[in-house]
Amino acid sequence: MGGYGDVQLLREDGLRLDGRKVDEMRPVSIQAGILPAADGSAMVTHGLNVAVAAVYGPMEAHPRKIQRQDRAVIDVRYNMAPFSTSDRIRPGFNRRSREISKVTAESLESVVLVERYPRAKIRVEIEILAAEAGTRCAGITAASVALADAGIPMRDMIVGVASGKIEGTVVLDLDKAEDNYGQADLPVGILPNTGEIAFLQMDGDLSPEEYDLAMEYNFKAAGEIHEIMVDALKARYEESEN
Amino acid sequence: MSQGLSGAEQRLVTPGMTIGSLTGMRVGSGAIVHNDEIIATKLGWVRENNGTISVDPINSPYIPRSGDLIIGNVAEVRNNLWFMDINGSFQGLLPMSLAPWKVEYGQARQHMNVGDSSLARVQEVDECHNVVLTMKGVGLRRLSQGAVIDVPVNHLDRIRGEGNANLDRMKETSDCRIIVGENGRVWVDGHENGIDWVREALDIAKQHGHKSSFDSAMKKHEKKFNKKGDA
Amino acid sequence: MPQLVPNLLRQEVARLAEQDARIDGRERFEGRDFTLETDCLYNAEGSAKVTMGKTVVYAGVKFEIRTPWPDRPAEGSLMCGAELRPVAHRKYEPGPPSPQSIELGRVVDRGIRESGCIDMNSLCIIPGEKVWGVMIDIHVLSDGGNIFDACGLAAIAALRTAVVPAERFDVGEDYTLPVNGTPIMASFTRVGGRYIYDPCEEEELGGDERIHITIGDEGHLHSLQKGLRGVFTPAEFAEIFKVAQNKCAELRKVVAEKEAN
Repeated sequence: MGGYGDVQLLREDGLRLDGRKVDEMRPVSIQAGILPAADGSAMVTHGLNVAVAAVYGPMEAHPRKIQRQDRAVIDVRYNMAPFSTSDRIRPGFNRRSREISKVTAESLESVVLVERYPRAKIRVEIEILAAEAGTRCAGITAASVALADAGIPMRDMIVGVASGKIEGTVVLDLDKAEDNYGQADLPVGILPNTGEIAFLQMDGDLSPEEYDLAMEYNFKAAGEIHEIMVDALKARYEESEN
Repeated sequence: MSQGLSGAEQRLVTPGMTIGSLTGMRVGSGAIVHNDEIIATKLGWVRENNGTISVDPINSPYIPRSGDLIIGNVAEVRNNLWFMDINGSFQGLLPMSLAPWKVEYGQARQHMNVGDSSLARVQEVDECHNVVLTMKGVGLRRLSQGAVIDVPVNHLDRIRGEGNANLDRMKETSDCRIIVGENGRVWVDGHENGIDWVREALDIAKQHGHKSSFDSAMKKHEKKFNKKGDA
Repeated sequence: MPQLVPNLLRQEVARLAEQDARIDGRERFEGRDFTLETDCLYNAEGSAKVTMGKTVVYAGVKFEIRTPWPDRPAEGSLMCGAELRPVAHRKYEPGPPSPQSIELGRVVDRGIRESGCIDMNSLCIIPGEKVWGVMIDIHVLSDGGNIFDACGLAAIAALRTAVVPAERFDVGEDYTLPVNGTPIMASFTRVGGRYIYDPCEEEELGGDERIHITIGDEGHLHSLQKGLRGVFTPAEFAEIFKVAQNKCAELRKVVAEKEAN
């Protein structure tokens, strides 16, 4: 969080710079099964973010030392394409990608019935094609839809959403400017059916009351995104009425 | 849940959705119990049968079960065993003692080499998912001719049809030998036109396998072959 | 991990070849249905998405300002790279760029560079001080066969829609990157003993060596590459070169039509 300094992020009328209300999220659209080579796949467009996820497996975990005798491991790679940001990113892993991959894998392991596949690994590849704040959340959402599309058993899906604080006001779903100049960001992964939380990060400055409000916004948005996820999965298979 | 008794109900659900309550219902495959509620764990259609509620998945990986007839490809040969790719999470292991030939130690490669395909049965799957295959049994053999065509595991029932009716019709129309492996591989052998026709028929199954348009698409395809034959 | 090639697949493609047929029902020199979409990615200065059968590829163009090489003070630079990440197929593994992805990037790079469609002098801002570096990154998301042609098409389509972000770098007004030409690649794989155009995944698995031909607007060759184990005769090349001329001209027309809309 850069701190708000001189940058104005809320308009006089109380709306945000892009015209959204404080508790309004950017438009979200989802497609399932877009990558034919994968066992399951999804594309999530969240605002201007584009996240693609592919799932392969379960397959034998290699090398042997990563195998777990009692369950499958989920091997997540979160990667930003070189052209996904304003300044080109040199290809290759970096610390940020590694951290996001790790916590995303652990949150997915909390919903996938990993004990069904001892010694196996499930590969989840998250590729960010365009980034405008909120890519890790879009990536988690895409990964969930791709896992469901691949037929991997899960006790719930995970919806990635974030709220934050700009100019002392809690708002849902930060865009790029709000992320750069805001005061806090609270990305979470919510299980829409059980209401549990599998992914949690935060940076910045939030009072206990602000945290509660940000979480309230996140849960509201998770419900909305979950409907879009379900529709995307159904659209692939449900027959049109004719 | 009021329409649940019909059995023919086609309700598409996604993982995490509640599909019933535990009172008076049993949990079948593709579902788990959480807080006395029955939750879907897969994308698929809900099915209620004799008080058991389950989800028929739309897409799922092949899970080997003891007794499955499968088509495997040799991936690796050792002195006394073959490792076979069986389209599952793990390779299957065919020991020399379960091969249909009398094999001398170190001679396994002479009977079946990397890249060869064979018709085998799953002998045993242990709790660690180790799969042991056997080729001892009627009809189990190395496949040296014909074509192997991949199909989704979840469409196998549809491809076979009620009491194999659909499969029998395909065999009759194409005049080909067709063997459906439980692991999503179909072996076809016979006249060239027949093989090509079966490949197209299985393509239709891939596209329409989960839709009600499947039967009509297959019928249309059957007519196409007859026309070709008359010409 | 090298993929297992079932002998029955090689036999089957050979059998089909004798009937002059293909495993997916196409004619010998028939391409798959494809789609081309441009300007599809926010943050890329030029972008394109290509699907060819089960293959899905994105390309994005980025610009940077750099100091020119001392011996060429008024010339900018162009670089094209490809990534074959594990997202694209179960056969790809994580790790540093594979020889295969480097080959892919360099073959596409040569076709574009050698066609001369980018005048390196036009990328000069201040001679000896500031020039534009143009970078095309190709990202394969689904490898369903013949990623070379899909990458070549995505790269040139993305480049042709690129806008130079001069305002963001404080060196004047944004302008469309001048691109004089549309080099197009056509790829052939030997399957069942003879070359076919635009191989699908099964044909690549059950086939042998491949030849990639990039042709410019005037019908001239700009890059050639033979890959994988195998040999071919001059007569075989003459045949596919003719086919490539037609295929490239057709695709070039599609790119032009796309831009006109």
